[in-house]
This record gives sequence, structure tokens and C-alpha cells, in this order.
Amino acid sequence: MATALATARTVWSITWFNVRMLLASEFFVLITFVAPLIFATLGFFLFQSGGGKGGQTLLYVALGAGMMGVWSTTLFGCGGAIAWQRWEGTLELLVCAPTRYDLILVGQTFGAVVFGFYGIVATLIWGVILFGMPIEATFPLLLPLSLLAAIVSLGALGMLIATSFVLYRHANALGNLLEYPIWLVTGMLVPLTTLPLWVQPISWLLAPTWGMEAIRGATINPTPPLLAIVMCFVLAIGYYVAARYMLVFVLDKARRDATLSLQ
Amino acid sequence: MTAAVLPRSSQGPLTGLRTAWRIFWYGGLMSYGMLFNWARPSIYIPTLIGGPTFQLFFFAALGSYATDRSPAYFAIGNAVQVSVLAGVFGMTMAIANERWFGTLPAILATPANRAALFAGRFLPFVFNGLLVSLYALAVGIVFLGVRLEPSGLAVVGLALLTTVFSCTAIGALQGAISLRLRDGLFGANLIMMGILLFCGVNIPLSELPGWMQFVSQLLPFTHGLQAIRQAADGAGLADVGGLILVELLIGCAYAVAAFGLFQLLERSARRNATLDVR
Repeated sequence: MATALATARTVWSITWFNVRMLLASEFFVLITFVAPLIFATLGFFLFQSGGGKGGQTLLYVALGAGMMGVWSTTLFGCGGAIAWQRWEGTLELLVCAPTRYDLILVGQTFGAVVFGFYGIVATLIWGVILFGMPIEATFPLLLPLSLLAAIVSLGALGMLIATSFVLYRHANALGNLLEYPIWLVTGMLVPLTTLPLWVQPISWLLAPTWGMEAIRGATINPTPPLLAIVMCFVLAIGYYVAARYMLVFVLDKARRDATLSLQ
Repeated sequence: MTAAVLPRSSQGPLTGLRTAWRIFWYGGLMSYGMLFNWARPSIYIPTLIGGPTFQLFFFAALGSYATDRSPAYFAIGNAVQVSVLAGVFGMTMAIANERWFGTLPAILATPANRAALFAGRFLPFVFNGLLVSLYALAVGIVFLGVRLEPSGLAVVGLALLTTVFSCTAIGALQGAISLRLRDGLFGANLIMMGILLFCGVNIPLSELPGWMQFVSQLLPFTHGLQAIRQAADGAGLADVGGLILVELLIGCAYAVAAFGLFQLLERSARRNATLDVR
């Protein structure tokens, strides 16, 4: 019990520390707070222009645009997590510290995801103030659970991203590549049913699909998003196991080749 | 042994011109290779080929789902818009990285012609932006139903070149501003998003609120994209020449503003000894 508490305290303090670090970065403030507002505005105008033919509400667009920001923050915040520790010279210290390195990474990736979720709040406020968007939830009691499921699954995916991107020398370039395709195939603004059939199995393996589904399910959909919430947790376990293996592999390789601090 | 060096005043106008040309041409090429962080395949391909490809698909899917317009409408807008990535980010890096890499004091200590130095940075990024846009247009043609009338191809090319130039010019202005900022790429990202929202890339200008239409007239890209859309439908130079000219003038205005700001900041940095202050 005491160990579990100590672990939770470690993860929490690293998460909070990382949130504060990201808040000091102009780039992360931009992709978390500004970019979703731009994309939400774009979405509002586009759906307005189409006369809401798909029956999508402003809330649909705001949540989608906010979640796009969450993905960007996860992608860049986690993708570069280990690389930044290398540049700052803290990687060796963290790897050799008595605290398990995977817990440090969990805290760091959760920090990025939690920070990203502030963007959803910013987008909702933007929608209310500028477009008169009503805030409503069809299943308000499920909303906290949906948010938690989305955060946990994206955090675990972030950890997998952090451990795999480190093998590529330019993690940020991979971030630039993977921003739009994930926005597209996870149904953040465009429903999956409008995409080719072969895209759907890919989307099922991605946490943002289910995270988005869980949040939209609790706010605008007529049925409770139980499947989406369960899928978030199932995927989170899968990502975490894969990330652990990846981390062991990456650290072993770095120790063997003596490249832990080399870029 | 002493090398004979002609005093500057006795150098003929031809020598001065040749020196300026060398600074423009070789300096430009070298700055591209050394200061543009993305000028290597491992970054260039994901960022300037992969990213734009998916941007096209994303907006084509979103736009055609949300509105009744064809994916081709969004594909053209975004295919031209992706040149901003190369132009704005490239120019920002080409100027701001001089300070970050510590070469700015050496550059400013030389008596090199500033206009040639500055103009030389433009060329590789205009070419690069053109390349990225042409690639994206090809993706639009193959996958998203973009059609270019053969009669308007030359005009499309001219309008595209002008648009890429004016986007590079606003990138130069951002680069000059970055000499005073901690993170120059913040502004570059803002410009890119602003162009996406204000300049008719995805939303026709007529559907934007009045104040946004006003802003769009002051930004580069707006008139160039209008010209490209019309020329793609077969409009000739007589029809869209005015739009291209306005785009060119806007681009020149931004380039002059960028050069002026660069000069101003150079003088101010010398006076206040803040050349290397970050």
C-alpha cells in the first residue's frame, strides 16, 4: 500500500512538474491553446457554410478541435520527451536514479496529456463566447469517467510514442508527419463512416478514436459511451505493456552501445 | 607577404556588383544549407512532403463533408497554402538562426551589401515553396480531382510564383522580428494558421465576417490564391493580372518592411550592445 502511494506521489509530482514546464513553452501554449481555437473557428465556419447538413452541433466541432489540440500536445510533448532529457543532460541521471525510469516517463507523458486537455476547456469557452455555443451533456455523470479514460489511454499512447520516437533522430519531424493523419482517421471532425472502409480498423487501434467517442458520447450522443470507455482502458493496458518492452529495449541498446547521452 | 587589397572606394562599380552577386547567390545557397534546419531528408520528407500530403487529405475530407463543395476546392487551397511552410518557416530560420548559431555578429561585422545578403536568402525558399506546392498540386490532381485548364497553366504558374514570393516575404519579416524574440517559430506558426483561416484557403472570403475579410486583404496569399483558383478554371492573364499584381505589391511591401526592420534592429543592436542577447 505504501509503495503504491509512493508511486502515485512520484507520478503525480512529475506530471504536475511537466505541466508547469510546458506552460513556459511558447510552442506548447500555441499548439494547446491557440491552434485548437483556430481549427475550431475554421470548423464553425465550415459547418455553418454547409448549413449543418450532417446535423453536427457547435459542441461537436469544439470538442473535436479541442481533442485535435490534445493529440498535438501528446504527439510533440511525448515524442520529444526522451530526446529533450538527452539534450538537457538529465537522461543519464534519471535512468540511474533509484526511481523507476518508466514511472518518470509515465508522469512526463501524463503531464503532456493533462496539459493538452486544458485546450479543450479553452475551445469550449471560445465557442460559448464567440459562437453562442450551448454547453450540454447527455450523460453528465459519465463525463468525468470519459475524460479520465481519454487521459489514461492517451497518456499510455504517449508513453509508447516517447519510447519509439527516440529511435528516430528527429522526433519532431515525425510529429509534423503524424498530426494531420491522426486527426483524420480518428474522427475528430470528420465521422469515420465517411472515410474508406479500410481506415476503420486502423482507427480502432488508436486511443484518440475511443477517447473522442467517450467524450462525445457523454456530451452529445444519445447512447452512453460504455464501449468507448472500456476500449480506452483496454488500449491503455496494451500501450503500456508495449511501451515497457520498448523502453527496456531502448535502454538496453543505449547501454550496450554506450549511446545513452548521444543524439 | 602582403596581399594587395584595393581600397573600397577605388573598386569599380562592376567589382561591387560582382561581389553583391556572389553574396546574393552563394550566400543564399549557403544559408539555406546551414541555417534551414529542415534541409535534410530525415526532416524534409516528413515535414515538407508527408505533412502537406495529409493536410490536403484532411481538409478535403473535412471540407467536402461539412459543405457541398468538392474536395478539389480544398485541395487547391491547401496545395498552395503548404508553400507557406517552406517560405515562412524557412525565412524565419534563415534569419533568426544566425543569432542562435552565433554567426550574426560575424555577418554584421562584414561590410557586405545588406540588400544582397538579405535578398540572397529569399531565392532558395521561394524555389523550395514552389516545389512543395507543385508536389501538393500533383497529389491533388491524382487523388482529389483537381483539374487545371491547360490554357491557364502558365498563369497558374505565374500566380503561384508570386504567391510563394509574398509568403516568403512575410516569413522574412517574421525572421527579422525573431531577432528580438525567444522563439521565432511561434510567430511563424501563427502566420501559417492565420493564412489557413483568413485567406480563403478553406472558407470562401465572402463567407467570412467583414473584419476578417479586411484582414485578409492585408495578408499575402489571399489575392494570389484567388488568381490561382480562377486561372485553374481557365482565366487568362487579362482576367487575373490585377490580382497577381496586388499579390506582388503586397509581397514587395512585406519584403521592404522586413529589410527595413532588419536594418533598424541591426543599428539598435549595435547601439545597445544587444546583438547576442537572447
